[in-house]
Amino acid sequence: MKTGIRSIQGRTITDAVAEIYIQACTVPDPLVEKLLRNALDMEQEGPGMKALLIELENLKVAGETSLPICQDTGTAVVFAEIGNLVCIEDGPLAHFVNLGIEKACETAYLRPSQVYPPLSTRKNTGKNAPAVLYIQQVKGSGLKFSVLAKGAGCENVSRSEMLPPLAGEDGVMNLAEQCVKGGASRACPPVILGIGIGGTLETSGILAKKALLREPGERNQDEELAILETGITERLNRSGIGAQGFGGKTTVLETRIIQLPCHMASLPVTVCVECHVHRTASCTI
Amino acid sequence: MHHLILPSGLHNLSQLRAGDLLELSGTVAAARDAAHRLMTETGIIPFDIKTIPVFYTGPTPAPPGMASGSCGPTTSSRMEPFIPEMLQRGMKLVIGKGNMSETTRELFQKYQAVYLAAPGGAGALSATKAVSREVIAWEHLGPEAVSLIKFHRLPVFVAWDLHGGSIYRISGRGK
Repeated sequence: MKTGIRSIQGRTITDAVAEIYIQACTVPDPLVEKLLRNALDMEQEGPGMKALLIELENLKVAGETSLPICQDTGTAVVFAEIGNLVCIEDGPLAHFVNLGIEKACETAYLRPSQVYPPLSTRKNTGKNAPAVLYIQQVKGSGLKFSVLAKGAGCENVSRSEMLPPLAGEDGVMNLAEQCVKGGASRACPPVILGIGIGGTLETSGILAKKALLREPGERNQDEELAILETGITERLNRSGIGAQGFGGKTTVLETRIIQLPCHMASLPVTVCVECHVHRTASCTI
Repeated sequence: MHHLILPSGLHNLSQLRAGDLLELSGTVAAARDAAHRLMTETGIIPFDIKTIPVFYTGPTPAPPGMASGSCGPTTSSRMEPFIPEMLQRGMKLVIGKGNMSETTRELFQKYQAVYLAAPGGAGALSATKAVSREVIAWEHLGPEAVSLIKFHRLPVFVAWDLHGGSIYRISGRGK
């Protein structure tokens, strides 16, 4: 009997995840580079402009040498969309994803940055595993991975809040402002903001990460959110913080928002701050 | 562009002004969170802190044929709890990224120390400026071990100078 079930080997998953994680860490995204060039075109003479030039030169050097763009090769955040017809016979998905991150770390000379246990010895786990993995089941027989190499400098200035339910756009705007004005110089600006709204406490954080996966330069399909995104970016760029915090017109390259329903008594919001190197990649098996 | 050559350049720190872009050549000590915890817990600083600047970085492993892997700066503010002791013990130059508190800035000025900001994220570029790298203490810390890195013409900005100037409050604000 034909069932339509598609079997995928664990090794195939490991190899695919390793390949895109290496790509994310070492191959600069031309769309991110374009955003930085646009920022440079608008900038005035000064340390902020010089910092933008160095940021762009670094992308060029990374592209030529295959060195990691930044030494913080991140916490590996992996989103998997697995078709309902896919069967991984030899083990659970997370196992093979973690092996992929370990393989990437070893073969591409990435930095292992994960430590455990977090409160006492903080011993390095050695191969940058485990990944932070989010699995979503979708229709079909495909398996898609999207990875984000998330640096800690920018992650540390991110915030989750349970806002008053009627805080509205102003509440979101203010939270984004707190993140950027409170710590942008530590987050390697110009930054990208991923904002998640709705669900429960943890949902907003996951949505904020997912928002960071949107293609640079792509407009939000939801017109109301697209306007809010532009409003947040423009308002925060009036801060004058600029590249590396050295002064300038572009502090935020882009803002991206994803929203879901939430409880009538809640408004969970996360603003996830992402550095200017913004390392992502994806593939479909 | 001003060329800051170490260690002789440490005698001329007063010439530096916040906002200047410099090229730095010489040996620095890579140390970050875990190494700072150990240095202050044990009292052992495994390099001459009076002549060797501290660079807050944890490099990626060096690929074959290179002295160092990517080695951009990490966030300096996390090291703030350790800074008073390091300044007391003679630290004159720090390389990191991002602003720190006004209290820490005043301490730098009091001890006549300069804070340099390397461009955050520019790890690959920094690696191409590294001439040599040698782990000198606490190898078990992996990327957080203390190492000496010799650079040739590493681009860095003067973040805080000896005269109260800060790159984080000059040109461009509010525009």
